[in-house]
Amino acid sequence: MGELVDARGLACPAPVVRTRDALKSGAVEIEVLVDNPTARDNVCRFASSQGCKVDVAEEGDIFRIMLSGPGDQPDAGQDTAGAATDQRIVVVLSEDIMGRGSAELGKILVKAFLNTLAENDPPPWRMVLFNRGVLLSVEGEDTVEALRNLHGMGVEILVCGTCLDFFGCKDKVAVGTVSNMYDILTTMLAATNSVTI
Amino acid sequence: MGPEDLEKVLRLLPPGDMRREILVGLDTPDDAAVFMLDEETALVHTLDFFTPIVDDPYLFGQIAAANALSDIYAMGGTPLSAMNIACFPCSLGMEILARILEGGLAKVREAGAVLLGGHTVDDEEPKYGLAVTGRVHPERIMTSLGAEPGDILVLTKPLGTGILATALKGDFISEAEMAEAIEGMARLNSTASRAAVLAGAHACTDVTGFALVGHLLNMLPDQGLGCEIRMALLPVYEHVREMAALGMIPAGAHKNRDFLAARVEVPQGLDEVERDLLYDPQTSGGLLVALPPHGLEVFAQQLGEEGWTRIGRFFENASPLVRVVP
Repeated sequence: MGELVDARGLACPAPVVRTRDALKSGAVEIEVLVDNPTARDNVCRFASSQGCKVDVAEEGDIFRIMLSGPGDQPDAGQDTAGAATDQRIVVVLSEDIMGRGSAELGKILVKAFLNTLAENDPPPWRMVLFNRGVLLSVEGEDTVEALRNLHGMGVEILVCGTCLDFFGCKDKVAVGTVSNMYDILTTMLAATNSVTI
Repeated sequence: MGPEDLEKVLRLLPPGDMRREILVGLDTPDDAAVFMLDEETALVHTLDFFTPIVDDPYLFGQIAAANALSDIYAMGGTPLSAMNIACFPCSLGMEILARILEGGLAKVREAGAVLLGGHTVDDEEPKYGLAVTGRVHPERIMTSLGAEPGDILVLTKPLGTGILATALKGDFISEAEMAEAIEGMARLNSTASRAAVLAGAHACTDVTGFALVGHLLNMLPDQGLGCEIRMALLPVYEHVREMAALGMIPAGAHKNRDFLAARVEVPQGLDEVERDLLYDPQTSGGLLVALPPHGLEVFAQQLGEEGWTRIGRFFENASPLVRVVP
């Protein structure tokens, strides 16, 4: 059944707290009223993080946010966000070259690999760079642009901080998020499919 | 108060007094005011107080005091004395007020200063802070202006306290889970300030309510200078990104973004969570220091490896601009 959360006049985080409580109480269709953009953005972000479908209507100074909760039954075929999370491809770059043999050729191949990856649909969920792989994200490398394109497409790029330290180039990272073993491990464990080069 | 509102109010006031003793006054967006006594000595004055950011009264007292003392450190000064400012509802119980003041006193002492007195007002919501007086040599004052193209930008504490405080209010996180940030907020900027002075910093300010980007823009004069910051290098407290993804963004971050975004260039496709870190208002944040490249070694020697991060560099630019790169 529908539920109305009137969060007008409330400062953050109260609108999000009310929305959370409504979701917890089992409501599936929730309408949240807020009167400022901060509350609108925060409620929308929270609801999306909980797997809700979110629609916003602006009525004068009031924002009417319609949420369809994640519900208990699987919503077959309708939930596009769900479909995207079903497939979590992780691309692992543990070397700054592709394949053994010629290092010169390996350089050319890794660049071609990243360019092609950016054209692939769907793009990977995340990319993990460790050991010499982190060097691909360092400024001046000709692979940075391809990685930036991937990042621009929403691909999260985790670059191993320990490795950057080791190679002395932590302040030269041009793309990606400097990350740690915990995040790298949880990413690799959460992958439905991983590709390592 | 947001930066836009403050600017409106200040515009209504008559211009500040002009006297040669006033070395830093109303006309610059600095952290504290500096009044020269003689050729060797100047006094640094500042005042800051706010509502509880954590529930534990002792920790709140420590954080509020560290935050107020920070303005002295940002100018390169040494705290001498402090006065308490407290607002408190009598109904809440005097033991709580006592714990707040105890926390504040501990930090004043740690700073090597003395507490001289204070004033308390009955008010619905508790507020606490300090008015602090410090000293500085008139020729060794650090101000927010003075950075030059090629200077390195360093930050001495992680970001994200506004997001964590919002999450704490909503019970999305516990005080125990935000221990790292509480410790960070209660930490004095004393050693960072000394390192900046010894390293010959060209400019310095502390990161508070106007967020990383707002305070960085205060370091840029009307023309000639821009600053590039590397998103990947920004130090962030534990759980901040997670809480930001849950919509724990304080209203102040929105005000900051509305007011500042025109002077900030962000990479295409920058994640919302990352963007919010730039505008998140900080409590008792770190120092932002503009170091000449040759000063970096001295700075690092003073602070060791921990407790500071090189996050960007200044470059020549026609108008003030913060360029964020991945």
